[in-house]
Amino acid sequence: MEKEILFEHDILVIGGGLAGLRAAVEALKYGKDVAVLSKVHPLRSHSVAAQGGINAALGNTPDIGDDHWEDHAFDTVKGSDYLADQDAVEILCKKAPEAVIELEQMGTVFSRFANGKIAQRPFGGAGFPRTCYAADRTGHNLLHTLYEQSTSGDIKFYDEYFVTSLVEDNDRCLGCIALDIKEGKLKAFSGSVILATGGFGRIYNRSTNALINTGDGAYLAYEIGASLEDMEFIQFHPTTLYDSNILITEGARGEGGYLRDREGKRFMKEFAPEAMELAPRDIVARAIITVVEEGRGIEDEYVHLDLTHLGEEKIKERLPGIREIALDFAGVDPIEEPIPVQPGQHYSMGGVAVDTECQTEVAGLYAAGECACVSTHGANRLGGNSLLETVVFGKIAGRKAAEELDDKNAPESLFKSHREKDEKLIKSITTKDQGIVYSEILQQLKETMFQHFGVFRDGEEMRQGLDKIKQLQARYPEIYVQDTSLKFNQALVRSLELRYMLFISEALALGAIAREESRGSHYRKDFRNRRDDEFLKHTVLKKEKDSIKLEYSSVNLGQFEVKEREY
Amino acid sequence: MKFKVFRSNGEKSYYDDFNVPHEPGQTVLDALFYIQEKLDDSLAFRYSCRGAVCGSCAMLINKVPRLACRTQVERLKEGEDNPDIKGYPALKEGEKLNENSLLVEPLPHFPVIKDLIVDTEKFFEYYQELKPCLKTEGKPPEKEYFMEPEDVKELEEYTNCILCAACFAACPVDGENPDFRGPAALAKLYRFHIDVRDQEDRLELADHKDGWWACEFHTNCNKVCPKNVPPNVAIGKARAELKKKKDDK
Repeated sequence: MEKEILFEHDILVIGGGLAGLRAAVEALKYGKDVAVLSKVHPLRSHSVAAQGGINAALGNTPDIGDDHWEDHAFDTVKGSDYLADQDAVEILCKKAPEAVIELEQMGTVFSRFANGKIAQRPFGGAGFPRTCYAADRTGHNLLHTLYEQSTSGDIKFYDEYFVTSLVEDNDRCLGCIALDIKEGKLKAFSGSVILATGGFGRIYNRSTNALINTGDGAYLAYEIGASLEDMEFIQFHPTTLYDSNILITEGARGEGGYLRDREGKRFMKEFAPEAMELAPRDIVARAIITVVEEGRGIEDEYVHLDLTHLGEEKIKERLPGIREIALDFAGVDPIEEPIPVQPGQHYSMGGVAVDTECQTEVAGLYAAGECACVSTHGANRLGGNSLLETVVFGKIAGRKAAEELDDKNAPESLFKSHREKDEKLIKSITTKDQGIVYSEILQQLKETMFQHFGVFRDGEEMRQGLDKIKQLQARYPEIYVQDTSLKFNQALVRSLELRYMLFISEALALGAIAREESRGSHYRKDFRNRRDDEFLKHTVLKKEKDSIKLEYSSVNLGQFEVKEREY
Repeated sequence: MKFKVFRSNGEKSYYDDFNVPHEPGQTVLDALFYIQEKLDDSLAFRYSCRGAVCGSCAMLINKVPRLACRTQVERLKEGEDNPDIKGYPALKEGEKLNENSLLVEPLPHFPVIKDLIVDTEKFFEYYQELKPCLKTEGKPPEKEYFMEPEDVKELEEYTNCILCAACFAACPVDGENPDFRGPAALAKLYRFHIDVRDQEDRLELADHKDGWWACEFHTNCNKVCPKNVPPNVAIGKARAELKKKKDDK
């Protein structure tokens, strides 16, 4: 008889982006047998698309004095609309300088000041130029560095493996089942699991995210008893390229770019008179939508991001990638004319609930990066803090998983039953003669999410949205794939992703409907104020039989007093 | 718009014709998704970022290796964005270019797995062989290594590489000599060689007939590179340095 568990490792990292690779490199240092499973080649992970930079209180900018981690922490907590856990923020900001230095010493080519130090630029919601960058390709540079590090060691890579379930016994995660996309076969892996699967932006039809960001980790963790936290907090990036919604970095405004309405007026003066274009993302995104809804946009769709006054030299040196994107995808040269931009989904603040050591409530299951919620971002993440979170908490997850490793019994029969269950689901999709194709449901889901759970929300509209999500879920069993081949059956993979996305949308909706206030990115037209008495707390979603149970947990407050946000 | 698309299950290969309604701003990747979602869900191609940064979707489009996500159908139709690359045998295989349709094929110089998906194992093997990982010496400084902005500028030309493998598929030498390590791996090696922080002797790693010395400077690599990386420049400089070193001995 063929062995059921085909691959045995100490630690299975699911996801090959920055958080996953940082975790893998760390776990390897502890002498563990580490494997990385990714549904794409690691270099194709979404981390590669991060542009503007990574925050750390290095204080490298000449002639403006020192920066301190406490100031970084204050900006982060204020930016989060006080929902971030201050103990988690402290770790993030305290460890930031060493994390950036470590990446530099691993080989990342950061941009430099004339004095040879790592260059830093101003970013939204930050009181100091604190964002280290590699031109406007920071994520690309960091991911390639960590890929270089992780492939020069003894880490086993399983590229193009799609995880279909986690295997759990007595509240302990023992491994996973994954579809080998190339062969079309389900295979069992044993080991502790670190989830690093990224966000779930693709449940929205306007998103900066890579097409692979479908929230796989959140679904997998929830299914075996881990909680999800603050799923309703979705960041909409103010400046995405009109129509294609490709990211136009906040760094463009950090370098001095202006937002202008149809008349050429810098409208941010009306919304954040001090911070102007560099107010936090939630505020700038709402300002743009408001301006467009007032008829002051261009073609009633977008506004202008004007960089022309920065000059050719600065644009070519600091924002070469933005220029390329504008030229390639909009036929606009930002040296000559403004870039058409509109807000688009960008980041998932919520995710798998973890403590400050990246542990979920299930033993042997950890999460780091965008798929996790520590929570360092609360209700609104500051630009430059997501890359930071991936490396700081990826490292912690790798260490913790290595330390906590114990000899556990992985019963073959348990893996077999999980695999057979997943096999059955796959067969139900691939053996029908007719039905609904995944793209039909996916398209409706994405439209529903943007329309009902977008930048501005309203109780009644959200309840209608939830009904639509439920209707789409009810149609899922009719889904079918025409392609009968095993090899690279992408329609099958996308159908399986859709199943995760339908669940995540419901979780998001439940959290959003229940939160009767406006805080950070969650803005309700029927509850326009923040209501600390009732809602200064985290939403927690848990599996209870076949339904989602909603609870709340307290926020870890600390040195920063909860105040109104003003910019 | 008519698309002629290469199909294969790894054994048998053929071409399929698809009609895809044109939309403003449509990229070749958009068209492939239209086909997969509406016309034939068995069509396989790699994708991820759709913004020309991840390097997943390099393929042969109208006989030029390019990223499908970055290639605008409209511009292609108008005959724009056609780099003037030197011809090589792989481009003469398969369907001929035809004015009435857009031709989409897998990257040449790699085995096909399915449809537009190729096996890039060899490409990454060559990359790994040249040990692309910073090696410093001694105790690292407490803070960052200092670097001149000018040095960073030169390095960036090479760190911009996204390892999409378009250059490997465009290189006439790689077509003829499959042992040639190829433009991307050599550019990466050169990137570490010129990094002031790096203390490893690196140029020797490719100082052989299938390394630096195999290049014939057709410059297709640079012409098809979506990030404008110049492997040809790196190779030229590396050779000059090696030659000087030998002459000095």
